[in-house]
Amino acid sequence: MISLFISTSLLNSESPIFQISKSLGANELPYSLPIHPNLVHLTIGLFVIAIAFDFAGAFYPLEKRIFRFLALPVTRAGFHDVGWYNLLACGVISFFTVAAGFFEMLTAVPLPGVISTFGLESFATMLWHGVGGVLILFMIVLMTIWRGYQRFAWRKDMGRQVQWIYLFAGVVIMGLLALHGTLGAQLAAEFGVHITADQLLAAGANLKESLP
Amino acid sequence: MLEHLLPPLNDHNLPWMDTIHPIVVHFVIAMALITVVFDFIGAVTGRRSLFEVGWWNLLFATAAIFVAIIFGQVEAGLANPYGASREILNIHSTIGWSLAGILSVLTGWRYVLRSQDPLNLPLAFLGADALLAGLVFLQVYLGDKLIWIYGLHTVKVVSAMREGLL
Repeated sequence: MISLFISTSLLNSESPIFQISKSLGANELPYSLPIHPNLVHLTIGLFVIAIAFDFAGAFYPLEKRIFRFLALPVTRAGFHDVGWYNLLACGVISFFTVAAGFFEMLTAVPLPGVISTFGLESFATMLWHGVGGVLILFMIVLMTIWRGYQRFAWRKDMGRQVQWIYLFAGVVIMGLLALHGTLGAQLAAEFGVHITADQLLAAGANLKESLP
Repeated sequence: MLEHLLPPLNDHNLPWMDTIHPIVVHFVIAMALITVVFDFIGAVTGRRSLFEVGWWNLLFATAAIFVAIIFGQVEAGLANPYGASREILNIHSTIGWSLAGILSVLTGWRYVLRSQDPLNLPLAFLGADALLAGLVFLQVYLGDKLIWIYGLHTVKVVSAMREGLL
């Protein structure tokens, strides 16, 4: 009964995307290149390197000799500075990453009939990627606050500026980011979301003429 | 020669699950751009410890670009570009190799500056920073076109390619 109700509903003709369809290009966006995947470079790069440099700061006593051998002047505080500032930048930028992602998800038209490498259909993939994205933003913000407390209060006068459990949490979130990023990559490379060539092909166009 | 070294190609025309080059470039793009941002904030606000953060990010961007080029070359070789994307891929490759050289020179220069006085960054280096940011933006724009306009290595385009439609 439920499936019957959906199939006879207003879904196709009255879907809200039709209210703005005139301003959308073949890629279902009002501009030619999506913004979210570009901001993602910053979110992921900054988070991973922030955690990596806090690891470098935490294991500093073991690395000292290597840097002396390389004649590379290094301070432990410098490593932890990278850990803090990169994470802070990640925390700020990631709000824009998620906001752009939400706008672009609203106009997404995944190719019909596709099952991803993870065995998911497009709606399930978008659901995981959308809701998961908000949860990851929440984790990044919590990590930034936690990192700030360690830097400016709890471990202010200590050589190792971060707790081991913080580094562990960082590694876990990196794993989640990898999984989450793969879902996003599947939305593009498998479901063809916002990819001009994929959308044109799905519409039956000849790319030799429409995308010379 | 490659076909004897790598696993068989999948529906992305890749020997691995999905493109790796766009993942590695996270670390070139983010680290190069944040270097420029921290250098400028450090110079404008006088918060000199940011120069050290800029230096480490720059070093990391330089290390990462060589890995990005290795995967970029393999995946470009398997991309089967068509139409105007052929020329875009050529320019993207040329700028990519050039960026490896430019990042290396900037990192060497920065190493010398940092050894002389880690709390000072001459105006000339900020100029080079601005140039670097401009080149990175251009390179990202071209790479974006290859995936988001031409869909290279996407399942739909690869299957059209194999059917001889492109």
